[in-house]
Amino acid sequence: MSNQSKTPESQDTRRDFIKATGTVAAAATFAATAAPQVHAAEDNTIQVALVGCGGRGTGAAVNALSVDNGPIKLVAMADVFPKNLERSQKNISNAFKDQEGKVDVPEERQFVDFDAYKKAMDVLRPGDVVILATPPAFRWVHFSYAIEKGLNVFMEKPVTVDGPTTVRIMELNKKAKEKNLKVAVGLMCRHCKARQELFERIQGGEIGEINMLRAYRMAGPTGTAACGPKPEGTSELMYQIANFHGFLWLSGGAVSDFLIHNIDETCWMKNDWPVKVHASGGRHYRGDDVDQNFDSYAMEYTFADGTKMYIGGRTMPGCRSEFASYAHGSKGMAVISTASHTPAKSRIYRGQVADKANLAWEFGQPEPNPYQLEWDDLIAAIREDREYNEVDRGAMASIVTSMGRMAAHTGQEITLDQMMSNKHEFAPGIDKLTLDSPAPLQAGDDGRYPIPLPGIIKKQEYLS
Amino acid sequence: MKMQRLLGSLICCSFLAAGATAADPVPPLDLPESQANSAAEMKPYEEVIEHTDATIEMLPIPGGVFTMGTPDTEQGRDDSEGPLHQVEVSPFWMGKYEITWEQYEIWGDELDTIRRRLLKSKETPRDAVVDGFTRPTEPYTDMTFGMGSGRHPAICMTQHAARTYCQWLSAKTGRYYRLPTEAEWEYACRAGTNTAYSFGDDPEMLDDYAWYGENTNDQYEPVGQKKPNPWGLYDMHGNVSEWVLDQYLPDFFKTSAKLNPLAIPKVLFPRVVRGGGWDNDPELLRSGARIASSEEWKEQDPQLPQSIWYHTDALSVGFRIVRPLTVPSEKERAEFWENTQPEQLDPPEGE
Repeated sequence: MSNQSKTPESQDTRRDFIKATGTVAAAATFAATAAPQVHAAEDNTIQVALVGCGGRGTGAAVNALSVDNGPIKLVAMADVFPKNLERSQKNISNAFKDQEGKVDVPEERQFVDFDAYKKAMDVLRPGDVVILATPPAFRWVHFSYAIEKGLNVFMEKPVTVDGPTTVRIMELNKKAKEKNLKVAVGLMCRHCKARQELFERIQGGEIGEINMLRAYRMAGPTGTAACGPKPEGTSELMYQIANFHGFLWLSGGAVSDFLIHNIDETCWMKNDWPVKVHASGGRHYRGDDVDQNFDSYAMEYTFADGTKMYIGGRTMPGCRSEFASYAHGSKGMAVISTASHTPAKSRIYRGQVADKANLAWEFGQPEPNPYQLEWDDLIAAIREDREYNEVDRGAMASIVTSMGRMAAHTGQEITLDQMMSNKHEFAPGIDKLTLDSPAPLQAGDDGRYPIPLPGIIKKQEYLS
Repeated sequence: MKMQRLLGSLICCSFLAAGATAADPVPPLDLPESQANSAAEMKPYEEVIEHTDATIEMLPIPGGVFTMGTPDTEQGRDDSEGPLHQVEVSPFWMGKYEITWEQYEIWGDELDTIRRRLLKSKETPRDAVVDGFTRPTEPYTDMTFGMGSGRHPAICMTQHAARTYCQWLSAKTGRYYRLPTEAEWEYACRAGTNTAYSFGDDPEMLDDYAWYGENTNDQYEPVGQKKPNPWGLYDMHGNVSEWVLDQYLPDFFKTSAKLNPLAIPKVLFPRVVRGGGWDNDPELLRSGARIASSEEWKEQDPQLPQSIWYHTDALSVGFRIVRPLTVPSEKERAEFWENTQPEQLDPPEGE
């Protein structure tokens, strides 16, 4: 993490950065004093609750507490797995062991259950921040309560997994805007300095007219996307949540969880969302795994002006791997990001050949860490009471990603309009789940779950 | 001939692969060319990785005495490269090339096991040992960083991962493989020379022998494209730096043993890589140059706690393997070759 970086260069960058945000912080303190309704806390401390204590939630909490523009502390945590919560609490405490008061989550503010999110948010005061980092299926449920409580929100991507919940979360967001809540969505690429400069350069015409975009996340098995049979004695519901990348109702599967960054940053460079997509994919190596994912996806999106965006996703071991995004224009090409999310190492080449000799521009290294920047930006907006709401953008990135997945899973061309008006909701009534509820998805007698059958099941992604 | 092979197998059997137990000896894969009882009998051979298409070419390196370190007069020299001292190393085989992705990913991705199951291949006696062997957790990202797989060198692994790969390979083949010691590495790199590089002192000639900062397109290249050193080893200079077993001690050469020296690691950082990589300047590619690993090599790791298997910022660090002619006993291995601190353990599985 950049805030723990040891290189002299990146320390400089970090220091400059703190200096820059420090100035903002001074202004922010003033703003907060002048407008106490923005943040009710008299001591100007922002309190944070973490809902969803997996790896990403824990990382987000560490980034939150690392924002250096005023007092901030973690005060409550929620998860459905006690072990997750315990481990996360330990890791976060450990990361801040030298900074007293940053982590203040005694046992009575550690909540475990499906309604734990409410209890954790009840600890907060209006204007505090809740981190929503559970599987995305629960996002709209938790967001509703956060709005009710007047909380600012950081929600992890994706924010939805199907049409109905996308429409719902955009509707909910109107209330968040009315209440002047600041809401960040964890599409951190948008906060990356390199990509921001690249965006300006592309919009300024440096690669000419964009005529093709492409992105890849092709690697071996990732996360819990491939999961084996449910162990005896484990609850069906808890097993699926623990392996949430394997089940479409929870996460949208590997496509939603892994391809969304590439799809979002590539659409960003085009400064538009595509209007339709067709796609293919298949299951070749699932073996004993019972999850619903394909192990390859190839998507061709089309924008309103006819420009194509190609997306490749693969989780097969032993194949050529690539995790990068590109934009091709009439005058040159841009590497939007290279080899993973960060550092982006964004650059522009003259012509279409990415050769050092053709390099026209590249962002200097090292880059500030966008996982930290997205938090610096959110907290600064809260302290300065600036309008700050990324939900609509996050919902669009989510549904555009789901649209590609649905095209592959049904074997049909899917338009954005069709996707938005699609009535099939993967997990209706998810807000009523309890520890004893049956899982929204049930395995057959053979222990296998329903999977997509392209060309056979066309109106929804699987029959349940 | 048949009898000889059988005898060879039996001899090798007594030198157990990592993972096997004394009560349960596992016969090595039968490769006649790989067998030798003395330095004179050592031949080049291709190690076979069962249930895959991959092999690893090994070259015999005769033991001998050499002058380790660099003279005060060498351009770009660091004080830690001295004093010059005489070191004897015992005979070993060394990988002709750096370990490539196609050889490395078999371990990480269990490609051998998957293929064996898909093709319903017959299990070998070694498979039972290998099936239970430690493999790394799934990487967080594309560990080739977009620079190519196949015959490109594997990179960005921790020293622990490189060492565990060797242990897996030992179990897989029934022959004992490990990382070279720093002394073995320098001895093999110099290949009888005492100049700055194994081809002389002139960095201008590097282009014929090495991929480095001046002639790469900001990335590594497939192994074996440049000229080898006098003993037939490729990419000892450049392409990727190579892990050795030693702790990086700046003054180690003042006190190190005369025969097969090794600085047994007691801390995670710094340890030694040798040979320089695609992003280095000529001076770090010298036969005697020592590079120290650093915590910065994990700078971008977004996980908490950080992975014991992957670096995220060591894009020009890989390794090559050796196989000593005389296989150490389990006791020797435990006390010497594998006695490394701190112990590396994966955090418990999350939910």
